[in-house]
Amino acid sequence: MKFKLTIGFFIGFISIIVIIFTAATVAVLDYRVTSKLDGVLWTIPAKIYSRPLELAEGINLNKDNLIKELEMLSYERVKNPLQPGEFKFSKDDLKIFLRGYLDQRSGIFNINFDASEIKGITNQLGISEDLIKLEPTVIGGMYPSHMEDRVLLNWPEVPPILVDTILAVEDQDFFNHYGISLKSISRAFLRNVQAGEVEQGGSTITQQLAKSLFFSSEQTIRRKVLEAIASLIIEFRYSKEEILLAYINDVFLAQSGKRAIHGFGMGAQHFFGTSIQNLSTDQVALLVGMLKGPSFYNPRRNPNNATKRRNLVLRVLNTSNKISDSSFETLKNKELGVSLPNYRTETRYPAFHDIVRLELQKNFDEKELRTKGLAVETNLDPVLQDSLENNLRKTKLQLIKKYGSRLDELEGAAIAVDISSGEVKAVAGSTKPSSYGFNRSINAIRPIGSLVKPFIYLTALDKYNDYNLTTLLDDSKLSLMSGGKVWEPDNFDKKFHGEIPLHVALWQSYNIASARLGIDLGYEAVENMFLNLGIKKDVPNYPSLFIGSFELSPYQAIQAYQTIASDGFYSPLRSIRQIKDTEGKIEFSYPYSIDQTIRPEPVALLKFAMQQTFERGTARGYSKKQIQLWNAGGKTGTSDDQRDSWFVGFAGELLVLVWLGFDDNRQTPLTGRTGAFQVWKNFINDIKPVKTIQSSLPRINYVWTDIGDGLRSGKKCKNSILIPFIEGTEPNKIPDVRRECSSKIESSRNTVMDKLKEVFEVGQG
Amino acid sequence: MKLIKLSITLLIVTGLLSCASNQNMRDASNYKIPVNDFSRTVELLISNQQFLEDEIMKINSQNPSVQRILLSADSDLKKENYIKTNSELERAFRITKNDGALYLRLAHLRYKQGLLKESESFASKGLLLTNISSWERLLLNVYLKN
Repeated sequence: MKFKLTIGFFIGFISIIVIIFTAATVAVLDYRVTSKLDGVLWTIPAKIYSRPLELAEGINLNKDNLIKELEMLSYERVKNPLQPGEFKFSKDDLKIFLRGYLDQRSGIFNINFDASEIKGITNQLGISEDLIKLEPTVIGGMYPSHMEDRVLLNWPEVPPILVDTILAVEDQDFFNHYGISLKSISRAFLRNVQAGEVEQGGSTITQQLAKSLFFSSEQTIRRKVLEAIASLIIEFRYSKEEILLAYINDVFLAQSGKRAIHGFGMGAQHFFGTSIQNLSTDQVALLVGMLKGPSFYNPRRNPNNATKRRNLVLRVLNTSNKISDSSFETLKNKELGVSLPNYRTETRYPAFHDIVRLELQKNFDEKELRTKGLAVETNLDPVLQDSLENNLRKTKLQLIKKYGSRLDELEGAAIAVDISSGEVKAVAGSTKPSSYGFNRSINAIRPIGSLVKPFIYLTALDKYNDYNLTTLLDDSKLSLMSGGKVWEPDNFDKKFHGEIPLHVALWQSYNIASARLGIDLGYEAVENMFLNLGIKKDVPNYPSLFIGSFELSPYQAIQAYQTIASDGFYSPLRSIRQIKDTEGKIEFSYPYSIDQTIRPEPVALLKFAMQQTFERGTARGYSKKQIQLWNAGGKTGTSDDQRDSWFVGFAGELLVLVWLGFDDNRQTPLTGRTGAFQVWKNFINDIKPVKTIQSSLPRINYVWTDIGDGLRSGKKCKNSILIPFIEGTEPNKIPDVRRECSSKIESSRNTVMDKLKEVFEVGQG
Repeated sequence: MKLIKLSITLLIVTGLLSCASNQNMRDASNYKIPVNDFSRTVELLISNQQFLEDEIMKINSQNPSVQRILLSADSDLKKENYIKTNSELERAFRITKNDGALYLRLAHLRYKQGLLKESESFASKGLLLTNISSWERLLLNVYLKN
């Protein structure tokens, strides 16, 4: 009796333990299932996009760049575009079948060019269209620590053929079972034996979802049991439609670097560069076929395996009457059609990404960025970006060829911005731009060398009653005490040049003239100008500041030059345009902002002097016509002992800055001209900026002056140059030696109509 | 004779412009210049925001694509949806940077957003354009501070 009681008690005790254990397991699993399916699965990392290219009548753009962009977007050049993603370019006409993006509908459009200008856009019916938009490129995302990336699909976005294919291949009884199906297992077994290969899996879609969400791939009885319980919980908690949608969004399809590609939405983007809705049946079959072994059937790495598997899926569709015999025959012979290998959907352009991330972190917390599915629309121009990266790399190779292997470790950074708006179009932070690492565009704080001189000269020109472009500066030996030591700056050519006009001192980049000018102006005036240019940094009070010991990052330096290139209108640099939520509503925007911090007239004088850098200075080599078409100007910079090579220049609507040097700050054989300018030149020659329109400044008058003494001269006189002056500051004195040659001019100026024009054009500022 | 007529016309227009440039649109009564004696239109421009806005919206672009965007931007501005208005104007700005109609709207938008210094900067920048009419010039001058 006692024995029976003990056994009974023992069995009862064990049963209670088992029940408690099972209940606890179910409760834990239930919690995990609901929290995952209700939460984490539906979180989407913020996606970062390039700017969408908009084409409209009147826009000037380089046709070659447009073709490059179409190729980057995986548009295919064909004889006659018949389906989305195809185009034809013939001389002055582009016929394109747009895929469609947001408010841009898909369809065929004809774009007519006259040289680089778009003259007209018509649709398929020949009706004129004002504006069409290409889809942007995904350039990265704000991925969570598990690095899962997905494009979340809702039911209206799921094409029926995808559902048909998944059900036909993975789980034909999906709508009839409760998560586990013995029928499925036995039918799959028989089917696979008949086919002699694995056509179907035995696990239901619910089991696969449970496995993918909670369990590793280890084949143990314990895991199988837990997977079965989790499947039953999922079936109990959710509708069939919800389960299928979760599966479509969660399946693992590929590994791309550190990033895991989850879901068919992301899979379509990753392998075909487009949305799931744009995929053809064979492409859907390829993606569904990959579920069996994402790595083994990866179409990029193992195209033969992928083709075999895709055709097997097509055969299943055919036998289940989802596609006809003739379609099956056609589709199985098609190419895989995966996007070009250079279509990289993982984080591209890490230097640009860095800048975007820093801007985002000012307004969003990490969690929002990693879960809310925000769409970050940036200003990145993918064609300019690729060209900037390529030319930085290419120029380094050219320099190694010229100077030898001592430049193997040469590093660099380059930035291109839109002058008027401050939009950052392209950024490279290394001579190996695609790799992550030290981003020199924002983190390399280096002496800017002669890049500082235009800031000093502008401080002077802003005092236009005291200084103009022909004011004589003193370039004779300078010796003064600084920090307890004697400071004696040298010119690059180790010579002194006596008294020289201000504009000559600038384009010749004489150090002593600049140092003397800075000392005359005083630290406070120079510091104020730095502030007006957008340099938010303490300015040290030592004289070497005036010849370039001042340190800035390339990003800080180009900000200051944006203010100059934009006629004295400071615009904070912007890498992001706006951020939209999943509904497409603007959540946050980074609007175009300007602040007139310097009068335009002194800036116009400075820009003229910077144009001389191209016409006769360190950036010479372009034709006068080209320089004027672009309204180009620039400045080279070389720091002490040639440790840093800089060039900044504006051409058309672009401002581009380049820095080259070693990370350990050792000496290079490069000057601004022989190093950074070569990158600039290669880039500009590659992208060919379009012409720009000059500003109108009625208070500027041009006068012929002598390049040596800066006094008035004439067109017919030797060594004369036409120099702009702010009205009322023109030199009057004509030296006797030039009286004869200079008297021949002027008659064409100052006609009655000119005077009336001057009266009419009321200026400002 | 023709030249004299032209000179007189130009001088009158110039007078109008220079007076307008000296006005503060927020409160016309701040100024010593007897605006009413000078021009009823100028007074309305500087004292009546709605009148000014209506006048600005009459200024259109030469570019058909920009015209379409401006329609949408003007409609958003009327609804006081400033973020969307800005987004539309920036789109137009990417098509052409040489259009007085855009600078006028940007100056006006920033004014409505309370960003007075920026409004003034957009007006100043618009005045640097080579192809603006004297009417556009006058309207832009309204946004310049005294």
